[in-house]
Amino acid sequence: MRIRISHATKYIYETPPSEVTQVLRLTPRNYDGQYVAAWHIDLSRDCQLIQHEDAFGNILHSFTAEGPFDDLTVAVEGEVDTQDTNGVVTGTVEKFPPQLYLRETPLTQSDPAIADFAESVRNANGKEPLPLLHRMLGALNREMAFDTDPTHSATTASEAFTLRRGVCQDLTHVFISCARRLGFPARYIGGHFHRADGVTAQDAGHAWAEVHVEHLGWVGFDPTNGICTTEAHVRVAMGLDYLGAAPVRGTRFGGGGETLKVAVHVDQARRQTQS
Amino acid sequence: MLSRTADNLYWLSRYVERAEYLARILDATQRLTALPLAYVGESNEWESAVATAGCASAFFRHYDEANEENVTHFLAFSADNSSSIRSCFELARSNARAVRTALTVEMWDAINGTWLELKRYGNGPNSREELSRFLRWVQESSLRYDGSAYRTMLRNDAYWFSRLGVYIERADNTARILDVKYHLLLPENERVGGPLDYFQWAAILRSVSALTAYHWVYRESLKPWLVGDLLILRDEMPRSLASCYQAIVRNLDDIGAAYGRQGAAQRQARGIRTRLQNSQMDGIFQRGLHEFIGEFITENNRLGSLVTEQFLV
Repeated sequence: MRIRISHATKYIYETPPSEVTQVLRLTPRNYDGQYVAAWHIDLSRDCQLIQHEDAFGNILHSFTAEGPFDDLTVAVEGEVDTQDTNGVVTGTVEKFPPQLYLRETPLTQSDPAIADFAESVRNANGKEPLPLLHRMLGALNREMAFDTDPTHSATTASEAFTLRRGVCQDLTHVFISCARRLGFPARYIGGHFHRADGVTAQDAGHAWAEVHVEHLGWVGFDPTNGICTTEAHVRVAMGLDYLGAAPVRGTRFGGGGETLKVAVHVDQARRQTQS
Repeated sequence: MLSRTADNLYWLSRYVERAEYLARILDATQRLTALPLAYVGESNEWESAVATAGCASAFFRHYDEANEENVTHFLAFSADNSSSIRSCFELARSNARAVRTALTVEMWDAINGTWLELKRYGNGPNSREELSRFLRWVQESSLRYDGSAYRTMLRNDAYWFSRLGVYIERADNTARILDVKYHLLLPENERVGGPLDYFQWAAILRSVSALTAYHWVYRESLKPWLVGDLLILRDEMPRSLASCYQAIVRNLDDIGAAYGRQGAAQRQARGIRTRLQNSQMDGIFQRGLHEFIGEFITENNRLGSLVTEQFLV
């Protein structure tokens, strides 16, 4: 599928800042399931955009915008050609052995409730990794409801699971927490999802998890949609949790009253048959 | 466009590119044999030339020994060798004649003019000087054809198939030239990193006109892994495998967009480009440069046959 994405992140300041420095993880990499045909980052302020790679292999862009200014927009546009790999992720840049992704982080730390949930799924379904993970995907998808109200970007897995509500970030954190609890290396993937229901305007990007299954490799699990990753998923950044894969992180010198607006458009670019 | 037209354009470009490559190999080998060997050692440069041209088995069917006369004749003038410079230009010209209407006037002039001048060289040069002049003429002819295609062709599927041929052949050629060093053994009393080693690497870089480019990119002396990096992974180097595949993917993408469908050829090209983008030179050297090159040549050939299956038959 050829997917066209436009993702604009706008910061509006009541009091203009003197300087803003940001690190962007907005650029997808090629792997066996996707090829980036075109990708472009645009900033509303004139400054130098420097590209590097972080420790996990994500493409990073960093810049410093000199103020004062009332707002700052980071706009990304591009086209990605994806193909279905049955959820298996191969051909990626892997800087670490899978065991590193067993590491707990504050956002994904499990608590007794999460541990109980994970173990109850295992007790009901046996130890075979792939069926177990699929059942957990379905169980979590039923257990937690998608709700944008009660949580925010600093909500931990434990807090979200207590509420039994959250956005894709929270469901993904809980899924990762459960997977690591059962001994599977798991990581957080930030990216985009092309919706089959024709809705192209979204308020945020999408997030899902990847779990390492022995003899198979990394497999993508999307707890928000209750499916494994398909050709509708565009993989952008990976990390141990949201903080490692966040699209925009930064600091600001001076200024205040900051509001954030995110607009994402994901639709299919020109009809094309695959033979 | 008829698949036969696309086939002729694709192979026309490949033959012209191949002729230039053979001229470069012969040039590089001449330089290597001119190096002083102050001891009695086996001089295997001419054998390596035949190996990198990929026609070792055919060569040894016709000749017993790989020396300057035999190899030069076999690679440049032999009618028995379907990939000699003469055969390449003759096949290129007959392909061009078949698709005369798809070529511009400049392109036809270039390839036909080359074929006519080829006759003047008869059965081969009589001296080393004549050979040098001949090789330079071959490279200029190839440049003239390539340049006229780039400068005058309409950007449609005829153009994209031509460029596809150029870049697939060029990627294959660069991979083989890098492999030359593998076949070139250092004599026993020479050390790795010593002067002979340096000259061998410099000769390889010179054969792809990359010696100065190397010093612009890496401000240090010649190191094998950096030579490999320049010719495999660097997008800035126009002959590198990465740069060729960037162009191959772009041309296949344009063809796919024009025809409204993609297939195995596009997927294979992207897979190779992704693997090149995600590779690092130390990983390649650890696995073995020769093995990497061998794998790459196989995958590149596979792309050639996928393109043929998908578009040219």
